[in-house]
Amino acid sequence: MKNQKIFILSGLIPALLLVLAFTYYPFLRGIIMAFQDYKLFDLRHVRFVGFDNFKAAFHDPKFLVALKNSGYWVFFSLIFQFVLGLSLALLLKKPFRGRGIFQGFAFYSWALSGFLIGMIWKWMFNSQIGVINDLLLRVGIIHERIGFLSNPKWAMTSVIIANVWYGIAFFAIMLLAALQSVPSELYEAADMDGATGIRKLWNVTLPYILPTIIATTLLRAIWIFNDPTIIYGLTNGGPAGSTHILSSLMLDKIIYAGDYGAASAIGVIMIVLLLLYTIFFLTVTKAEKVGDF
Amino acid sequence: MIHLDRGKINMTRRKKYSALLLCGALSAGLLAGCGSNNDSSAGDNGAGDEQVTLRMIESLTSPKRTELLQASIDKFETANPNIKVELISPPFDQADNKIRTMLGAKEDLDVVEVRDLTVAEFVNNGFIEPLNDYADKWSDYSTVSAISKSLGSVGDKLYFVPNGLYERQLFYRADWFKEKGLNPPATWDELYETAKKLTDPSKNRYGFSFRGGAGSNGTTDAMVLAYNGDNVNLEDSMFTKDGKTIFSTPEAKASMELYLKLYKDASPPDSVNWGFQEQVQAFTSGVTGMLLQDPDVIQSLQEKMAEGTWATAPLQAGPTGKALLAAGGAGWGMAANSEHKEEAWKLISFLSSPAENTEFSKAYGLIPIHTSAAEDEFFKTGPYKTLLDMSNAPDKFVNFKPPFEYPGTGQWGQVEMESGQALLLGQASLDDTLKKWDEYWTDQKSKLGK
Repeated sequence: MKNQKIFILSGLIPALLLVLAFTYYPFLRGIIMAFQDYKLFDLRHVRFVGFDNFKAAFHDPKFLVALKNSGYWVFFSLIFQFVLGLSLALLLKKPFRGRGIFQGFAFYSWALSGFLIGMIWKWMFNSQIGVINDLLLRVGIIHERIGFLSNPKWAMTSVIIANVWYGIAFFAIMLLAALQSVPSELYEAADMDGATGIRKLWNVTLPYILPTIIATTLLRAIWIFNDPTIIYGLTNGGPAGSTHILSSLMLDKIIYAGDYGAASAIGVIMIVLLLLYTIFFLTVTKAEKVGDF
Repeated sequence: MIHLDRGKINMTRRKKYSALLLCGALSAGLLAGCGSNNDSSAGDNGAGDEQVTLRMIESLTSPKRTELLQASIDKFETANPNIKVELISPPFDQADNKIRTMLGAKEDLDVVEVRDLTVAEFVNNGFIEPLNDYADKWSDYSTVSAISKSLGSVGDKLYFVPNGLYERQLFYRADWFKEKGLNPPATWDELYETAKKLTDPSKNRYGFSFRGGAGSNGTTDAMVLAYNGDNVNLEDSMFTKDGKTIFSTPEAKASMELYLKLYKDASPPDSVNWGFQEQVQAFTSGVTGMLLQDPDVIQSLQEKMAEGTWATAPLQAGPTGKALLAAGGAGWGMAANSEHKEEAWKLISFLSSPAENTEFSKAYGLIPIHTSAAEDEFFKTGPYKTLLDMSNAPDKFVNFKPPFEYPGTGQWGQVEMESGQALLLGQASLDDTLKKWDEYWTDQKSKLGK
């Protein structure tokens, strides 16, 4: 028995070391850096500064804007990605000719890198040479070019639109898989009871796939919150810092200021926020998950 | 049956041991990977016939550039059969971070591409070696232009030999100018007036390819410097001769008022958030009539635009008739912990020789670092001619040293961009913006203890 234990333990060592070296060590190091004056320009004078980085963050108007933007960014991206993704999944549920090809086209956005999506939409949104303005002008919906990325009133909406486009496919893929697992007996029973389409969706389909919905929205919200790539590629936080979210601001501190201390402080704040969110989300959804079914 | 079972047990036991062995090997490998590899190749730094491998990393990576570099390296290897060169080419966006990380971790590196933007940081952290002792013994050093030497130096020490210079000039639509009977503008005021005449929003045509996004400080700095003119301390260019920042003067305010007008009256409204790509794309696709850029765009203009539709002119001057001009660029430096410094210098001096450097500059669209290259026909004609004209009139086009030794020089672009965008969008007043910039550089100076 003892040998067995040693065997199991030694078998676990490589995996354990990998996780320690590449997940927990950087994680801890990041937390330590948040309390340090750690600037790339001067690595010879790294020292502990207590909560200075956190204080500086909360006194920075850019941080407060980014905090608010993160809220909008996650909320609106998630709602639209989910609703449109679910609609797409429902449309794709019934077999039709060419469904496979159609699925491929509908899902391909998920295979692109966020940065690339930022670049693509940057050109489409361009007000002088972009295709969106051109189309809207030709169709006659607008009469003046709109600065989607240069007008602070539009910029946040524009980056969210790009993000929604990106994320629909994820929900469609996950929810389609869940939809296909709903037993047809349930629908037959619902038919016998005389349920209509909407009613079947509300009382049979959605409750059945609720666990998937909870898991995917929880995950997706965290991803959206953490992912700066689309914003980085699309607006780089501009104009005048109006489209920064916390993760893009963190990146900004690293790339342009080389200030790993300030960036790590933002990172730690993000972890705390995500932790609170997860606890809240899981507590709220737990009761329902068991209850309805 | 019993036999079989025993066999089974034996099998499992053997499997168990081999699994254990495998795990052990993996763990050991992992630990070794984490450790440093400083101790390797310690004893072979004597030159002679011994085989030496140099590790070299580039920063301004692009496929074409890597190809050119590799071709030069191949020539070097043929000439020096005992030296092998391993070129590392990280993608441009991550290159400087990769270089920092490698230097910080004391990984084996011998020749490093150092940029104007990173040199102060590398020197400050003790990552790179001063090259003066080597350069003094180098026969080609006498023809290296003063501006190249200044670019590669921090204080009185040379830290990299530039591999080509970037200098700003004006690109304009020759056909549009002809149509309207306009001449290329010589001053910023003329640039504004000309741009206004070219602007017709109903045709989606604008005079100036404005850049309010990443890199916008290229324009604001140039304007503020030109307006301050003779008053600028050329060695410490964010400050005037009496030690105030260049943003604190009435001239700075006048230049920024013109900057605002240039954006509002003669530039695409969208350009408040444009960076390099949009700015160049707008010019090549016929939306804008004038573009301020470095010579490395020449090749893409030649590819995308018909000959005769565009031409070049020198950088614009301020009201006193002077334009302040800086050269930017990158070059070859030596890692401080290189084990093969003599060989590394051999490679640096080979790449920086008049023959290699001039060829590289021609092929990639840069200004060569040797004064002797100006004799080359290539630089006497076409879009490069204006650059030569500018260096031939040093009284009008005055060279200054950009503030690369300040820790905040990398962040300045970002600070200027964000406050500049707020100014352009009417979210901040001109006085507040200039005050912010003034405070930024005053603070930088106090941090540097100058």
